Amino acid sequence: MIMKRNSTTSKIVTAGVLLIIALAPLLATSEYMVHIGTLILLWAFVSTAWAYMARFGLVSLGHGVFLGIGAYIPVMLFNYYGVSPWLGMLAGVGAAVLVASILGYACFRFGLIGDYFALVTLAMAEVVSLAIVACREVTGGSLGCTLKASVGWASFQFDDKRYFYYIIFAFLLLALYIWRLIDKSRMRLALTAIEESELAASSMGVSIIRFKMGITLLSAGLTAMGGVLYAQYVTYINPGTISGVGVSLSTCFKAILGGMFNIFGPLAGSAIMVSLEEYFRISFDTGFLGVSEIIFGVVLLVMIIFLPKGIVGSVSEWLNKRFGVARS
Amino acid sequence: MLTVDAIDTYYGEFQALEGVSLKVEKGQTVIVVGPNGAGKSTLLKTILGLQKARTGSIKFQDEEISGLAPHKVVERGISMVPEGGRVFPELSVQDNLRVGSYNPVARPNAQRQMEQIFSLFPILSDRKRQAAGSLSGGERQMLAIARILMSCPKLIMLDEPSLGLAPLVVNMVFDFIQQMKKEGYAILLVEQNANKALKVADYAYLVESGKLVYEGDRDSFDKNPYIKTAYLGL
Amino acid sequence: MLEELLMAFINGILLGGVLALLAFGLNLIFGVVKIIHMAYGQFVMLGFYFIYYFHTAWHMPLLVAMGAGIVVMGLLGMLVQLLIINPLLNAPRLNQLLALASLIIVLENLAQVIWGADYRGIPISMPIIQFGDIFIRSSYLLAFLGAIATLGILYLFLHKTYFGLAIRSVAQDVEIAKGMGINPKVIYYITLAAGGALTGVVAAFFIPIYTVHPHFGASFTLMAFVIVVFGGMGNLMGGFISAFIIGVVTSITAVLTSTEVADILALVMFILMMMVRPQGILGAKA
Repeated sequence: MIMKRNSTTSKIVTAGVLLIIALAPLLATSEYMVHIGTLILLWAFVSTAWAYMARFGLVSLGHGVFLGIGAYIPVMLFNYYGVSPWLGMLAGVGAAVLVASILGYACFRFGLIGDYFALVTLAMAEVVSLAIVACREVTGGSLGCTLKASVGWASFQFDDKRYFYYIIFAFLLLALYIWRLIDKSRMRLALTAIEESELAASSMGVSIIRFKMGITLLSAGLTAMGGVLYAQYVTYINPGTISGVGVSLSTCFKAILGGMFNIFGPLAGSAIMVSLEEYFRISFDTGFLGVSEIIFGVVLLVMIIFLPKGIVGSVSEWLNKRFGVARS
Repeated sequence: MLTVDAIDTYYGEFQALEGVSLKVEKGQTVIVVGPNGAGKSTLLKTILGLQKARTGSIKFQDEEISGLAPHKVVERGISMVPEGGRVFPELSVQDNLRVGSYNPVARPNAQRQMEQIFSLFPILSDRKRQAAGSLSGGERQMLAIARILMSCPKLIMLDEPSLGLAPLVVNMVFDFIQQMKKEGYAILLVEQNANKALKVADYAYLVESGKLVYEGDRDSFDKNPYIKTAYLGL
Repeated sequence: MLEELLMAFINGILLGGVLALLAFGLNLIFGVVKIIHMAYGQFVMLGFYFIYYFHTAWHMPLLVAMGAGIVVMGLLGMLVQLLIINPLLNAPRLNQLLALASLIIVLENLAQVIWGADYRGIPISMPIIQFGDIFIRSSYLLAFLGAIATLGILYLFLHKTYFGLAIRSVAQDVEIAKGMGINPKVIYYITLAAGGALTGVVAAFFIPIYTVHPHFGASFTLMAFVIVVFGGMGNLMGGFISAFIIGVVTSITAVLTSTEVADILALVMFILMMMVRPQGILGAKA
């Protein structure tokens, strides 16, 4: 939020929001609510990481690649070789970062931007998804795969959902903190310049590829971590839910609906979308399977058309107009 | 024919035109000169409807056209040759001309008009089937003008026709403008090159920074000392 | 083995023809309205359902049902233009993509609610043509010939009529087109109507070949994009050639390995093309 970057109001609001999140499980009336909260925080983490790239014009429609890699590698290693998830997650995140560096370098080296970049990432998401299905002997194909049950810190699985809630919250805080760091750093200036005009930026000595790669690897690594957390928490993964086009687009939605240029945008968007999805899932009779999805889709459509800056973005704009705070 | 009365045009918060008024009578050639960025192109775009004037009125043949969509303005007989000789690069020369007569009023005469244009502009006839994007700068400008003639316009507006063209080509272009003048078209010409423009003008306006600064016929422009030094390089 | 490969090649060409129709529609919409119609495959799915419904529930003769299906899809295209594309003409590209992606969710579930998740189809048995050891399904051949004929008609429409001329001008430079008296909004509606109707035509050709289910469109949407971008976005000829290349490559690879590997190969070809020559085989036009 440009308006609120340095004012005390923003600090109070931020502290307030984080405090509410931190205290929520203690006030929750059921495990179900903790579950929803955990999901919201998880997807907020992932979509925040996605927004690192998108806010500088690098719109990826294929973050399912990193989610899928982050989810499947630790699970496979644990199920087949008993490798500790703590090592497995390093492997998963490492593999995702490696893939991101190869694909990212190839794209940036060849000057792929805008539409083409988006469509290439979309294709990559499908490739990973199809590859998971094709290796069905190992991965279980489209039927998915369940994490071998085991409880405790060593195997990173817990009976009490609140452990996950706070661990994921910690990661979200990390992601938000990194967002602030980027905002204050040279990286932000460089990426903004690159977005406006690559030609002008490079003629001023800005190493285009280096900065684009930097933000991409960061985004990929954190997203993969989101995949790891998902697998450990939900303990069941399949290519349809954690890789491919669907989850990639869903991640974009969460950031956009909240407001992708705003630090709390993805969080707000996740809260809205996860709540909506749950609401529609449980409040309609299974006899009308599909009606809830139709309404969900229509709601998304209406929000994209009428709130192009997302909830937080639109509220921020309205507040600016109403209270006339000068933009910095 | 055309009466523009005190229009203001904005690009966002930036005011490009302020209180500009002008008149073009039937068969008259009126020019608007002024430095780069003075708002001359904006003036034509506002008349055509590509930009909206916030205040003021634009009347064509006693009908208020301010605020109309561009295709409706074109229907009423105003056509514009855009800056830079913009043609449809992948359409053939022939097809470019055909688009000119898209207007239902002009369509019945399309074939005849095309033949006439090919005799006026033999170079275009040679390159009939060539893609317009492969023509030289001067040829494209000619095509752009010819295309306008296909629409049987009542008022022709030209936006900086000499821009980016070699001097010999510029002469050719202005010869054609003289020809159109003889044919009786009403012309509104916007030009940075005041020298050339004044030679074809019946009446002239000088615009600076979005405001009308001076107006008069060719003689008064020639005799005005400030204009002579600032714009005619004398 | 050789006969199998030859048949795969021929099938690739035959289906490539129909894919070329899909590519044409997508390219037309992208070239003119500058929007990527993410839900195009879902339109084909709906076209199929409508034809099925008109024929089985309303008892229209099959050909009439197909005609009606084509008209309905054309109208649906215009509805999408009105409700979704018009409001987003000046919105950021990402918002446009996501809006049309939401349409995918709406359309797939609409189909599921109305017709259920089971496979539906109109059983039509068509003869199999035999050349020695080579078998060709006449339904495939008919689809191919029909697609080529349709493309021919579309070519004539674009090059010999004033509407076609207007569409091509708006695709190249909408500003001067306006200056020629062309109303871009009208052209957008015509383009979306044509694009929609084309999905109806493709659906008609698919009736003797496939059965439909709500997720039928998903594989077509992605393939159609791969073809369009591979050939050069907005480039009608590029899409045409690309459809056959991808059609043959996937067909032969599927016979040699599996359909998943074939799909992966097509996607990898696409990714490599993007890196080596992002404007596609024949160059992008937008």
